[in-house]
Amino acid sequence: MAEPEVSIRNLTYRYRGRKDPALDGINLEVAEGEFVVIMGHSGAGKSTLCTSLNGLVPHFLRGRMEGEVRVGGRSTREGRVGEFGQEVGLVFQDFEAQLFSTNVALEVAFGPENFQVEHEEMVKRVENVLRQVRLEGFEDRTPATLSGGQKQRLAIASVLAIQPRILCLDEPTTDLDPMGKLGVFEIAEELKNRDDVTLIVVEHETEETLDADRIVVLRDGKIVANRPAREVLQDVKLLEESSVMPLQVARFFHERGTEDEQLPLTPEEGVEEFERRGWRVSPERHRELVEADEEREQSYGETLIEVEGLSHHYPNGVVALEGVDLSVREGEFLAVLGQNGSGKTTLVKHFNGLLKPTEGSVRVDGEETVKQGIRRLGQRVGYVFQNPDHQIFSDTVADEVAFGPKIREMDEGEIGERVEEALTAVSMEGRGDEDPFGLTKGERQRVAVASILAVRPEVLILDEPTTGLDYAEQRSMMELIRRLNEAGSTIIVVTHTMWVVAEYAHRAVVMRDGKVALQGSVREVFAEEDELRDASLRPPHIVSFGNALGYPVLSVEEMLRVTEGG
Amino acid sequence: MDPSLYLDRGTWVHRLDPRTKMFLLIGSFVLAFVFLNPLYLLGVLAVVLLFGYLAGVLVNLRRIWFILVAIAIVSAILWSIFGSGRTPLFLFVEREAVTYGIGVALRIDITIIAGMIFLSTTRNEEVAIGLVRLGIPYRFAFAVSTALRLVPTIVATGLTISQAQRSRGLDLESGNFIERIRKHLPLLVPVFVTTVRSTNVFSMALESKGFGASPERTYFLQIAMGRRDVLVLVVFVLLLAGCIALRVVGGYGGLEGFTR
Repeated sequence: MAEPEVSIRNLTYRYRGRKDPALDGINLEVAEGEFVVIMGHSGAGKSTLCTSLNGLVPHFLRGRMEGEVRVGGRSTREGRVGEFGQEVGLVFQDFEAQLFSTNVALEVAFGPENFQVEHEEMVKRVENVLRQVRLEGFEDRTPATLSGGQKQRLAIASVLAIQPRILCLDEPTTDLDPMGKLGVFEIAEELKNRDDVTLIVVEHETEETLDADRIVVLRDGKIVANRPAREVLQDVKLLEESSVMPLQVARFFHERGTEDEQLPLTPEEGVEEFERRGWRVSPERHRELVEADEEREQSYGETLIEVEGLSHHYPNGVVALEGVDLSVREGEFLAVLGQNGSGKTTLVKHFNGLLKPTEGSVRVDGEETVKQGIRRLGQRVGYVFQNPDHQIFSDTVADEVAFGPKIREMDEGEIGERVEEALTAVSMEGRGDEDPFGLTKGERQRVAVASILAVRPEVLILDEPTTGLDYAEQRSMMELIRRLNEAGSTIIVVTHTMWVVAEYAHRAVVMRDGKVALQGSVREVFAEEDELRDASLRPPHIVSFGNALGYPVLSVEEMLRVTEGG
Repeated sequence: MDPSLYLDRGTWVHRLDPRTKMFLLIGSFVLAFVFLNPLYLLGVLAVVLLFGYLAGVLVNLRRIWFILVAIAIVSAILWSIFGSGRTPLFLFVEREAVTYGIGVALRIDITIIAGMIFLSTTRNEEVAIGLVRLGIPYRFAFAVSTALRLVPTIVATGLTISQAQRSRGLDLESGNFIERIRKHLPLLVPVFVTTVRSTNVFSMALESKGFGASPERTYFLQIAMGRRDVLVLVVFVLLLAGCIALRVVGGYGGLEGFTR
């Protein structure tokens, strides 16, 4: 056999100033044409592993490297990053930050320009690559005006244009809506079918890894699994221990005692296996679930937010919302869904007065938001932005959380009490003296939530609270939000993460082209798979599985509860 | 919102060689500083605006009008108060000082508008390749065009951050001067942190795409001086020479009787 495309021997890497190594004794080989997925918790070393492929580790990043990485038979120590750039294309997680050109064609041409590709050839490459990522006709568009999915595809195109033999994508779908994700995976699928391109993808969405040849699971800088994809996906226990979300259908069968080797992975396989084993769904128990939904709906209080005939036009003439009617009652847990640009965020920004209606009205506690002003509304409606780094500025966690109460001129005792209360609510009690910039993303997200909670708002809006977190962090974030909801807060979550909606939200509103396309209890909404698909959404596996059996369920736990037999 | 100034209008102005446009930009600076008399400066302003009109980019004025007006007012008032001249107008304010203030305001506004027109009709990449063709090393040219890119990005981040902090109750409008400056801290720190983080990714992406991998590189954009460029340059050089002659030889367009 020829030498593998990538061969990593005893790679240990320690960032300067860090005690624990980011990578710890990694041994890995990837053959030409393979499709390898890398998974693992936040900080497991996934991104560091990617940067070691083209020599950013050790040449660019600061730290100490031991062991060896060979790409195409050559050690990365021997050449500069630029030289390996021609062999290894690296697409970073933060696609916004890597696009810098004023139009799409120039963005794609940047790599070839650096490698002195002749003009004629360059024009050809730009054309080909844009066709490959389905951005033909976008040549003259400014990258900033593209949707998230298009930007990510452009980032991939800009690397493909260099014609690398190895393409490495670091969490290419993290920030994307389901439609955007699909676009990226279609590209990956095509690349996978080419024998001359080796594909290495870091991914946290397990549902998207089914097509991989092999899955490598990292934990604390070490490889804990390196096996064929199917085998790893069937190892539910290993995935859970590594903070990677197991496939829901596999977990369902696993919990019911099915042997690992026989675990079905997809909803289709699941239905087949379910029937083969002669299992049944108990209609009575399923009715209990539906009744519990209805009971919960009865328990909501007064209407807190009332939206009537709301339209919003941006100054550039874009109609972001059109004739939206919606009401939110006290104690609800509402999820706002829809693809990027469907108007989700525009809608919720009306609830705390950040945006004013072009037409129609938004009332909070019976009073028009326009009359209340953003500052007074902030007492009632708290808004946690998607990126915690867009708001954290203090030297200590406690100061950050105290910002809201302080600005509202509360006295010292009151402030201290509220800070403590808010930090306890996000499970960060006693950590008030820490530096917020030294925390992990998940912890910074918690600080951001706490800083909003300290004002004690009745309604809490969270924009993509789980983006960029690993499975364990997502779970604990959502558990936190559930506790707040149970303690009386009304919750509105804007999100792309469908399993989060299914398991935690009570009611869902699906936005499409600035209008409400679908609304109702989460169970009702997720039962309408066709309509969801029209809005470019896809329910999680376990929901599809239940739907296929004729009984809409929302979580693996629910499915376990209603299943009989075997 | 697209935070960049560039407007892809495809007019003949857009199609001019970037070097021509750089020359026009610098030339218009010279024009603005040749004259001091507001009447002559209005003439220069008219030329600049006409050029912007032909390029179809005057809509961008809407994005900077606030700065233009603010500068004009501040300059007119400050010079009226602190300058002095011969002809009393009212109280302690002299006519020449007011005229001078207006002149300076026009000068600054002309340079800003000319800059705006330049950036509205020239891509960052064109600026870069233009500089390279003028003999400036690519790394430096790239740094210039990256700086141009960074400004709108930072502005966009700043807008998001300001929304986030206003949602938490930050009120930037009240308080005295010092207080207001202090209140910007919750905006500045996140802008700084976010920018540094994304710059780090940006530089890794550049390295990975072979930036500086070899001393030479090729260019996707092809620029060349055409007949149109020559024509525009000739007309403009004549205009420039005429104006300088008018001012230096003829002595027109200055301002008599103003002292600081």
